[in-house]
Amino acid sequence: MSDSLSMMATTGLLGYGFGEEAFRHGLEMDLDFIAADAGSMDPGPHYLGEGVPFVSRKAIKRDIGLMLEGALEKGVPMLIGSAGGGGSAPQVALVREVIEEIAAERDYHFKMAVIHADQSKDYLHEKLRRGKIEPLGPIDDATPETINETHRVVAMMGVEPFQQALKDGAQVVLAGRATDASIYSAIPLMKGYDPGLVWHLSKIIECAGAVAVPKSGQDCMIGILKPDHFLVVPAHPDSRCTRMSVAAHTLYENPSPYHLEEPDGTVVTVDSTYEQADDRTVKVAGSRFEKSNRYTVKLEGVRQAGYRTVFVAGARDPGLIAIIDDYIESCRARVRRDAAALDIGEDQYRLSIHVYGKSGTMASREPIKDAMPHEIGILAEVLADDEEISKAVMAKARLALLHSDFPGRKCISGNLAIPFSPSDIPVGYTYEFNLWHIMEIDDPLEPFPIEMVDL
Amino acid sequence: MATLSELTSVLRSKNAGALLCTLDLMFDDVAVYERVRDSGVINQELIASLYQVSQNEVSIIPYDVAMAIKVTVPRLVPSGSFGDTDVYGAQQHGPLLTIEIPD
Repeated sequence: MSDSLSMMATTGLLGYGFGEEAFRHGLEMDLDFIAADAGSMDPGPHYLGEGVPFVSRKAIKRDIGLMLEGALEKGVPMLIGSAGGGGSAPQVALVREVIEEIAAERDYHFKMAVIHADQSKDYLHEKLRRGKIEPLGPIDDATPETINETHRVVAMMGVEPFQQALKDGAQVVLAGRATDASIYSAIPLMKGYDPGLVWHLSKIIECAGAVAVPKSGQDCMIGILKPDHFLVVPAHPDSRCTRMSVAAHTLYENPSPYHLEEPDGTVVTVDSTYEQADDRTVKVAGSRFEKSNRYTVKLEGVRQAGYRTVFVAGARDPGLIAIIDDYIESCRARVRRDAAALDIGEDQYRLSIHVYGKSGTMASREPIKDAMPHEIGILAEVLADDEEISKAVMAKARLALLHSDFPGRKCISGNLAIPFSPSDIPVGYTYEFNLWHIMEIDDPLEPFPIEMVDL
Repeated sequence: MATLSELTSVLRSKNAGALLCTLDLMFDDVAVYERVRDSGVINQELIASLYQVSQNEVSIIPYDVAMAIKVTVPRLVPSGSFGDTDVYGAQQHGPLLTIEIPD
């Protein structure tokens, strides 16, 4: 182990961008590797379901173009995890295509590893039979039916597939779904650095500029590992890290700031200390890694949830707003009758009606029940087995909401202000998460095949 | 008495994965942080009633080093499932803003 190892996190999400000035400053810091996380499940199940990114191809190409240029110029590895957002096969394929395109355009040559994270149903059934799959949080146990109805499922790899790819000679590692911190931990762990410090540093810098002040969102972040502590400093000379910005970061999107789960153990920050090393740099020590007696990977899977049609309108009649909850119930009953007349049974669709101005944001958790706004927004949503049923039910729901009677009604030509023509908006087939579980595996490489490509 | 809206520097909500919603109450003054932390007001009973979950589903963790209190509850439905109103979970903090903390 050398006495220092440096890494640069260019962006918290590949395609969200980073400042070129920050990046160029970072490159001059004697780096051992550069990396970026490309993944997030925040935007919901659609992107994994469709296998598409939630950033543009153009933005991915811009970010990767700069990173490749820097990595090749400095002769250091470049690691990308959770390619394309969800890290599934079509998402990885898109980013791979972008990299190959850049390499061809600029005559770049390097060895690339592409690591896959999609899981086959046969493999999952086998794991389920052996009792190796369990819920990660408040979700039902997985059953054979859960697996059968899954449309696409990925597992989150740990550091081992990255390490294998590097041992096999890759300079660029393009990985499917991976834990954010594994991308940054793979190389330092291979070189023997303390796992508590490695994982904690990785957790902090995987969001790149998020811990920089001022928060431009465009900064790159430098992490420097030493044998008994690590340093975090922004790449851009005009921004800085504060003790508080770094300490607060483990709160973000985690249920606990003290215990952060990874495939082979838990990062424990209970005894971590944070101190301001200089104006721009924070020094962290005392973090521990508690190794688990089993190796688990998280599964993220989606199933098709039906074809969605939505409808948006406003209402400004005080008499209607005063009784809107009852009115919606009566409209629901009318939709049931009208759909039945079309031979569409209640089991063939789901209708949800959100009332903005009252409970559009929090639904049944909204504590203010008696709000009387001067206007409300209505968002109706139909999910049905197919497009035709979805559109047919929405047409009936729109009719019911627009033209049903209510006590004291004066606005008898129509109850809603409809902003668009056409009024009903087909959204397409939608997805919902049905696997959010952990799977125990014996070999950390087994579910993540590595493909080597010479460019 | 003062409300959490007056006492916090950050009061945010966000998904912690597709199944959980996590709320961070952050402070920029250690005395104010300790006043809220030690008031006993932010407890499982309060959070369970505000978010309509059972008390054993509520996690509350004071995080002294960053002067923050972290509260985590299950989401109403998984992110993006039918009937969801907030895919990112970014606007679920409202009920906490008006909670009053004694002097």
